[in-house]
Amino acid sequence: MTGADLLPIGEDDLHAYVDGQLAQARREAVEQHLSTDPEAARRVAAYQQQRAALRAAFAAPDEPLPARLMLASILRERRRSRLPNWRIAAGLVLGVALGGSAGWLLHVPSGRGSVAMATLEQEAFSSHTVYAADRRHPIEVGASEAAHLRQWLSNRLDRSVAPPDLSASGYHLIGGRLLATEHGNAAALFMYENAGGQRLSLLFRPMAPTMRASPKDISQGRMNGCAWIDKGMGYAVVGVMPDSELDGIADDIRVALNTG
Amino acid sequence: MVGVMASMEACIPSLRRYARALLRDRDQVDDLVHDVIVRALDQLHTRREDGDLRAWLFAIMHNLFISRVRRNKRRGPLVSLDEAGDDRFGMPATQDGHMLGRDLLRALDALNEEQRSVLLLVTVEDLSYAEVARVLDIPIGTVMSRLSRARDRLRGLMEGEAPTAIRRVK
Repeated sequence: MTGADLLPIGEDDLHAYVDGQLAQARREAVEQHLSTDPEAARRVAAYQQQRAALRAAFAAPDEPLPARLMLASILRERRRSRLPNWRIAAGLVLGVALGGSAGWLLHVPSGRGSVAMATLEQEAFSSHTVYAADRRHPIEVGASEAAHLRQWLSNRLDRSVAPPDLSASGYHLIGGRLLATEHGNAAALFMYENAGGQRLSLLFRPMAPTMRASPKDISQGRMNGCAWIDKGMGYAVVGVMPDSELDGIADDIRVALNTG
Repeated sequence: MVGVMASMEACIPSLRRYARALLRDRDQVDDLVHDVIVRALDQLHTRREDGDLRAWLFAIMHNLFISRVRRNKRRGPLVSLDEAGDDRFGMPATQDGHMLGRDLLRALDALNEEQRSVLLLVTVEDLSYAEVARVLDIPIGTVMSRLSRARDRLRGLMEGEAPTAIRRVK
């Protein structure tokens, strides 16, 4: 006998019994109680029938998910809707129409943001082209010195940077390197590789502190990627892979880094 | 949180089942699920890493559903059970299941929304009482009292209206 089965059986116990949410000792105590209380036993039986009927009525159908509920197609749809230029322009017109000042407030950062995004994009593709193609020396510090790599690049960028774990997507970190931006600042590039030898690079590129831009799909030649800016840091992931795979990885990176 | 996409994908069928229980109309069901996924993707970075993904998705669905119900109340009612043809329901086609399903659904519709959500999350979705409390943002004591009232009400309705139907379920 434990303490739990000595407590009187209450209303909540009957429900938890029906729903299979009791530990074994308590379940046995409830069964004991039901054998001596026919009214409680009738109620429990009715609840059990209800539960079975509801589950049968709403049993998951075998039918496949419609295409528009597949995650891959929703991700594709989101990428298409990530504000192409005409929609930004339409938003601006609307902003101005709704209230002059709101329109102008919108205008200024988006103008600067698009220049910053173009720079980020170009640096990401150039770096990937040059370093991912280098079979022997793609990086300066290897993943085996992960703590040193993080510390070194965080010091040089004067911000905390850490490469996320992408092993669930099949990519493992091989290491990282320091880059020079066209503005004479330091940026960090992390390189990943999958079992097939395909490489993926992730760029951390400091920006003006207030800068922010939503994720945008980018591509150049066979390379595709995703770039965004959050709290003054530009991020770009670039690789050669199907869009849907890259999208999933980019979303995972945003979650891991806790960025826009 | 790498792999969150795969986990989310695995939750879609049960989101759809819960949406079907809330709404029944196939198009509205898929619209709701679609909007839940889109919102979840937008808010992924705000999610607490240690939180349960499924409960979090159900919470998003619940909030969207409630705001939709409120909006529809202002614009006119959703299609009611009696008006809707059978083809609008995602019910199993077996004869017993069908008859029982209709009685049960009518009784379920007679519950208030608060009781219905708790009952469905507990019985159909197998969420723990603590998870239901988080999804609906209510204390666990309220979960228990709503569950109890929902079950007694449903029992009264089913026994009053269709005494033979419920006994078919074994």
